[in-house]
Formats: sequence, C-alpha cells, structure tokens
Amino acid sequence: MLEVNGLSAGYQGNDVVHDVAFRVHQAEAVMIIGSNGAGKTTLFKTLCGLLSPSSGKVLFEGGDITGIPAERIARLGMRFVSAARHLFPRMTIEENLLLGAYPNKPEPETMSIVLDLFPRLAERWRQRAGTLSGGEQQMLAIGRALMSNPRLLVLDEPSTGLAPLVARAAYEALNVLRERGLTVLVTEQQVPLAMAFCDRGYVLENGFIRLEGTTEQLAANLAVRSAYLGVT
Amino acid sequence: MLNLGYGQIAVTSAIAVALAMEAGIPILPAAALGLLIGGLFGLFLDLTILRPVYRLRGEARVLLSLLLTLGVSFIVDGFLNWRFPLKTLNLHIGGGAVEILGVPMRRGSLVASAITLATFAGLFVFFGRTSLGRAIRSVIEDEEGARLIGIDPKKMLRLILVLSGVLAALVAVTRSMVAPVDTKSGLSITVFALIVTVVGGLGNVVGALLAGIILGIVNVIAADFIGSYISLIILLVAAAVTILIRPAGLLGVKE
Repeated sequence: MLEVNGLSAGYQGNDVVHDVAFRVHQAEAVMIIGSNGAGKTTLFKTLCGLLSPSSGKVLFEGGDITGIPAERIARLGMRFVSAARHLFPRMTIEENLLLGAYPNKPEPETMSIVLDLFPRLAERWRQRAGTLSGGEQQMLAIGRALMSNPRLLVLDEPSTGLAPLVARAAYEALNVLRERGLTVLVTEQQVPLAMAFCDRGYVLENGFIRLEGTTEQLAANLAVRSAYLGVT
Repeated sequence: MLNLGYGQIAVTSAIAVALAMEAGIPILPAAALGLLIGGLFGLFLDLTILRPVYRLRGEARVLLSLLLTLGVSFIVDGFLNWRFPLKTLNLHIGGGAVEILGVPMRRGSLVASAITLATFAGLFVFFGRTSLGRAIRSVIEDEEGARLIGIDPKKMLRLILVLSGVLAALVAVTRSMVAPVDTKSGLSITVFALIVTVVGGLGNVVGALLAGIILGIVNVIAADFIGSYISLIILLVAAAVTILIRPAGLLGVKE
C-alpha cells in the first residue's frame, strides 16, 4: 500500500533522514520507533507532503506521490494525524469533524462510526476544539482524519502529551479501527504501546533505519530492549 | 494578513460605477459592474503582489501584506487623483425622510443599512453553514491543519481576496447612497475598516457587525456634536481602549 525507497529529507538542505526504505501492506499496522530526534517526525512530514524529500521515492497504492503537496495527498486517501494535531481551535467539534470530509458531504455512517469510537466528541459537539483536553483533542484529530474514510492512517506520536490511561484508550480506539481493516502507520516513543498494537516495525536511529522485523522479532532483539525499553 | 488597499479598491469601484452611469448604463448593472471590478481588483492583488506574502508565516506575513497593500493604495490613489480628480459617485436616493419609531431616517441610509444587513446575513450563513465557508475559516485557523485534510490554502486565500474586493465595492456603492464617494474617500474607508476589524476581532463576522454598529453610532454622534475631524480621533481612541481591555476584540477569544 505504501512503499518508500531511498528517501532522504530534512530542512534547508541538511538531511535529517537518510536513505530510508520501508513498506506498509494492506490491513497492516506498522510502527516506526526511535528515540527523540531520530527523525521520525521529519520522515512523516515528508511522507504526507509537508516537506519535500531531497531524494528517494514514495509510492501510495502504486502511484508516485513523491513531492506532491500535502493537500493533494490527503485527498488520495492517506491521512496524516500530526503530533501537533493542527485542529481548528475556534471552530466547534462538529465543524472540525465536518471539515474532515471536505470537499465531500460527510457520510452519516462514517460520522456514527467516529462518534461510537469517541463518544466524548458527541458530548462536546458544540464546544470549541480549543477548549478540549489533550486526550479529547487527540480523539478529535483522529476522528477528523477518519471522516474522509482514508485507506491509510498515518499517526505521528499519538500518545504525545497524554496521560498513560488516556494514551492506552487512544490505542484501544485504533485497535477497533484496525479490526475494521484500516491500514495504520504510526511513530511512537512509548514503544510498549506501539508494540502491543503493531504487526511489524522499523527502528529509526539518527535518521537511518537500523532494524526491522515483526513486533516479536523487534521485542526479542536485545538492542531494542536496552535502547528503547530500558531493559538490559 | 491585513489589506490596507481596501479603501482604494472601494474608490476604484466607485469611479467605475460613476463612469458606467455617465455612459448611460442603468444603476443596477452599473453597480454590478462595480462589484465585479472590486472582485477583480482583489484577484489581481492575490495573483501579483501577495504571492511573496503567502510564503511567509505569522507576524512577517502581516507586516509584509500591510506594507505591500499600502504601497498599492498609494499608487492607486495617485493614479485616480491624476485621472479622475473630480469624479464622484453619488447614488442619492430621493424622497423625504421616512419615520421609523418616531425617528426620521433618510431613505439612503435605510437602503444602505438594509443592503449591509442582508450582506452580513449572507456572510454569516456562508461562513457558518456551508462547507466552502468552513474551509475558508479552517485556513485562517490553521493553515497546516487545512492542508492535512485536503484543503489548498492558496485557493482559499484567493477566494478571500476576491470576496473582500467585492465587499469593498459594495461599501463604495452603499456609502454613496448616504454621502458622495470620491477619489479622496479611500483613506477614511481603510481607516474605518481597520478600526472596525480591530475592535470586532480579526476574522470575526459578528464582531465586525457589532463593532461597525457601535462605532458608527459613536462616529455620527461625535461628528454631530464635536466635529468630523475630532470624531476620527475619538474612533481611534475607542479602538485603542478596546485593544487594551480586550486584545482579541469585542467578541474575540483568547488563543
């Protein structure tokens, strides 16, 4: 579904990620893990079109999307949920969700799926997004992305700024979506959360992919354990 | 982004309407032509001098847009004063005063107010209830967020410029029902627009309406009792006080 080859990208000519290659297959959940500053956010911003890569190729469902601007990629069925969330703070929950489907009319079925998943959003329907708690904002960001019925959901650190319980709840919601067949690519610093959720993963270190494998393989890998799980 | 060429767009449209009417075109098509000219003026700004503005973010964008549109307004001002120094748009609506609740009102004021209120109602519905209106607001709220859900900020900014150009032209047309609009009216229209925007809260339609009504009343009373020059100073003081008390405007929300 998503195929990344030899991707390098960064800011003002200084590459932060180097020669990155990975794949995400249909109905899979794949994680990119790594410590702070490893280049995860840069990599994801490049995938979704907010940054232009300096070299390499990104294919989505067989089509070349390298260097295509974010607004066009979003319409192709690949939705990015940024760690910064980028909600519309002075607009209501309702308006934020409706905009997720833009330019199409929101499908009532999709709306009810989102509200079933995140009942809190229905409770706060007419409240401004800026007044929500961190966890509710994350739900809204995910919900807004889902409104377009994306085929691939790309999440940058969904647990950022969330209390452990809230972060776990967010992953439970993602699990429900996975069971419905949604393909997910996620970066995460809280590795155990991602490990419990994903089929496969890649370890990004200083901008390079150092390890890859199934979640079990990665978990078994001592390097991962010591470096990222804090277990020696 | 702030557009200080607003008054000059209005004046340009007013001159266009006046010329069209001199050429024998009836008032309604002439006014429609004026709105078209206003919209095209906005489109022109979007396609030319605002290009570099869109590349900037935050404060730098506001400052550059302010300087560039001010420059354009000087050029337009100079051109209009050179070519049409005596041209005036005066859509005086005749007939005696109409009494409403015992207060005599000029017909021109009533028609202008009715058009303005209808336009505000239209804008309110457009921005609040239509998906295109919401998409425009989303770009004002968070440009990156808008891009991530498939909205192209450049298209929305272009729409805003065209729409504000049409509205500037509408200001010229309605204003000329109450008082003549000539090449020297540009500055006061821009200043009034700026004050109303600041007092109402940037990007707030209801706030702008409320501020427009309150400041309009203040303006008329001050002009009647004290003098029209002092009334402008009073308006500026009112705007300054609003910023001190409510930095985000009357109905603004702190971010």
